[in-house]
Amino acid sequence: MPSADVAVIGAGLAGLLTAVRLAEDGARVVVLSEGNGTLHWAGGPIDLGFAPRASDAADAVRGLARRRGHPYALLGVDVAPALDWFLQLTTDLGLPHAGSLDGGFGPLPTGIGGVRPVSVVPAAQAAALEPWAPGERLVIAGQAGFKDFWPRAVASSLARPEVWGGFSRPARVTAVTVEWPGLHERRNLNALRIAEAFDNPDWRTAALDITARAVASTGPGPVRVGLPAVLGLRDHPRALDAAEERLGAPVMEFPLVPPGIPGIRLHDVLRAKLRARGGRLLLGERVARVETTRRKVTAVATTAATRELVTHVGALVLATGGIAGSGLIGEPSGVIRETVLGLPVEGPPIESWLSGDPLDPGSLPIAAAGLRTDDTLRPVDPGRPTDGPLFDNVRVVGALLAGQQWMVERCGDGVSLASAWRAAASLSGAAPKRRATPRRAEAVR
Amino acid sequence: MTIASVVEEAAHEAVGLSSDECLKCNICNEVCPVARVDDRFPGPKYVGPQAQRFRLAAPVPINLDGKPVLTPDRTVDWCSGCGWCTTACPAGVKIAEVNSRARASIRAGHRPRLRDWLISQTDLIGRFGAPFTPLANWTLHNRLFRALIELVLGIHRKAPLPLYAGRSFRSRFKRRGGLVGRAGEAALPPPDRAVVYFHGCAANYYEQHVADAAIAVLERNGFQVIAPPQECCGLPMISNGLYQGARTKARRNIDVLAEYARLGYRIVGTSTSCTHTLKAEYAEMLDVDDADARAVSQATWDICEFLLDLHEQGRLDTGFGRVDQDLPYHAPCQLRSHGIGLPALDLFALVPGLRAVDMDHDCCGIAGTYGLKKEKYDTAMRVGDDLFRRIEASGAPESACDSETCRWQIATATGRPSKHPVEYLAAAYAAADAVGGAAGTSAGAAH
Repeated sequence: MPSADVAVIGAGLAGLLTAVRLAEDGARVVVLSEGNGTLHWAGGPIDLGFAPRASDAADAVRGLARRRGHPYALLGVDVAPALDWFLQLTTDLGLPHAGSLDGGFGPLPTGIGGVRPVSVVPAAQAAALEPWAPGERLVIAGQAGFKDFWPRAVASSLARPEVWGGFSRPARVTAVTVEWPGLHERRNLNALRIAEAFDNPDWRTAALDITARAVASTGPGPVRVGLPAVLGLRDHPRALDAAEERLGAPVMEFPLVPPGIPGIRLHDVLRAKLRARGGRLLLGERVARVETTRRKVTAVATTAATRELVTHVGALVLATGGIAGSGLIGEPSGVIRETVLGLPVEGPPIESWLSGDPLDPGSLPIAAAGLRTDDTLRPVDPGRPTDGPLFDNVRVVGALLAGQQWMVERCGDGVSLASAWRAAASLSGAAPKRRATPRRAEAVR
Repeated sequence: MTIASVVEEAAHEAVGLSSDECLKCNICNEVCPVARVDDRFPGPKYVGPQAQRFRLAAPVPINLDGKPVLTPDRTVDWCSGCGWCTTACPAGVKIAEVNSRARASIRAGHRPRLRDWLISQTDLIGRFGAPFTPLANWTLHNRLFRALIELVLGIHRKAPLPLYAGRSFRSRFKRRGGLVGRAGEAALPPPDRAVVYFHGCAANYYEQHVADAAIAVLERNGFQVIAPPQECCGLPMISNGLYQGARTKARRNIDVLAEYARLGYRIVGTSTSCTHTLKAEYAEMLDVDDADARAVSQATWDICEFLLDLHEQGRLDTGFGRVDQDLPYHAPCQLRSHGIGLPALDLFALVPGLRAVDMDHDCCGIAGTYGLKKEKYDTAMRVGDDLFRRIEASGAPESACDSETCRWQIATATGRPSKHPVEYLAAAYAAADAVGGAAGTSAGAAH
């Protein structure tokens, strides 16, 4: 029924993780989202933090935690337990991830021929964390005519040592273009359609054998095979196993432009987990209005065809994202507006929303705009933080938190994990030890 | 159609301009049930927000024949109109509505294909078929005739068609003394003790048991039912791009319903696609958006939405008897477009013994009249394939769904009945009565 212990606004990584964590603790949770969240654009890596001189992600997190006003100043200590939970959860859900906070960074090549430093990745990208052995080659294979992945172009970029940014790199990079069965006659070939094809065991065996022959033709010696991130959607774990077995080499899925198949896989398993715990995810629900009493949100009204859908709530989690997720809107007047509750936003003045080179992610001071919170993630007025929370039963998670330059600091997923962990713990009443208490029987839905 | 009217129609509409919000992120293509199974449809992004740039260009591009180019891509006709793209868009682009309007622009000024015209005339078909029920049912389910119909008209021989129920619901309702007039024609119960019932074509001609169940449930909760004169809501015409005819339907329905709405009566429908049309599509698709239309929109409720609202106010009679069964439930696309959550599931949870399971499938494929068409039948069946297989695998003897064409599609494909949620509520009330009075009645229902 349209009432919930907790309503989470937003279905990105932070929102879904908060919802799952609360549902695990027996809360009745509804996730209300305007549409599918930013996870559908995600390429796989779980970015916890990065700095050129950091030895590992833990070091990067510590560095960011020392920055005044950074979310990690508050949440840095939660990254490790939240990550442990996430790794266990995704393993249980059949989508295991590799890597750790203190295992160092590895270079993951991308579908446009760049390299990104990663510390935690889905199993299909785990090979990126292993140093390249002497003589080990990278063979990049892709479907002819698939417009989101051009093996030769990617290889010619990755053949340049400087692209690897000082990381261990392959001895040689080669490209092979293959014809997977039946795809050349298909129109509108996109990553999703190829991923669905890889869900079919017979088709993928044939496709992988074709790929194996093409890889073998590049010569002898140890190789890793780089493929576009399309190795199955619903049957991904088995598609990945089949790929490594048929190719006889470690496989690496390169992130592509959206739709992000690795992100959709993660979204799907988290959503399934939420549903199994009696939670609900409703799409097409833009928040129109929030009902409040003094310092408490009592109901959320979302847009509908005619009258609003009113959900009575015990607590509200804002997981609406920053500018990209439309949790914040920069008005032409220079006001940065928080879209659900109209909470006061900390952010730069309009003259310095953008600075310098527009293509440099470091030139977007507005990316750091967001909400200030107390240590349980309740929103406060950034001008008067000591006045206490503006709402007692609201929590802020993810990219909506002020002070992060996630594109430069590569901390976005870590902030999502740690804030989901913190918010869920504070809404569950107490600390993680509550996990031991008996859970409410699963709702029959 | 003049160039000026094309610009007028396309450029000055909020729906068309919502394309400006498109980030080109592909989420709509990702969720599109048709693109999932059929490459002939390039996906909602390409025919919607992307093609919209060309439609919005001013002056309108002219082709070599001197005619305005309305759309760069006629593949928009492969859109089934399910609306998932709009539901999943994180940026608020009205993709399905853009596509529907584009299809209507293509059709405008052309004589419609006979088949498309015919399957859009649902009340006409109902009215002419009902008196000949045995013959009509025999014809429409005879393999030879269906082959002939496919050959002549292009309606697929295996496409799900309903059975006529004989005398219409309206005439039966009138005969038993039901209120069937316009507002002011007869003395009416006050608006808090009565609702206007929009039965739609399905409950009128084919599924009168749905109307009966709705009336039983509404009366049980203290609401007398008024069934004023009404026509097809116009959705089949909208889906087939026949906007002029749909506007006529809209106007006639609004004329009658607005009088009731202004008196404070709520309009409750058992067809979730009809109620969505009254609520949203008259304005978003047809530009029928005056004060009367808005009054009707505001007064309209899907029946499960209405009953759940009663429950929230503590006014629903929850004295449901036991209905012991597993029930796979499919939430139809049109219900999702309402944005009202999944009220049927919340109501099922109040019925002891009823174990409803959300099938969590995007679309059954039929999309109103889409899956009836010879050239689209296979596509529609592939869209719903996973749903059908899971309903079959559940072993449940029947399934539930809020929309009639979906029910016919699911029932035909799974070989087992598909029922409206309100039928289970009526059965649960009947079960309570059968075990001796309303044991466990709660929450002060208005009897």
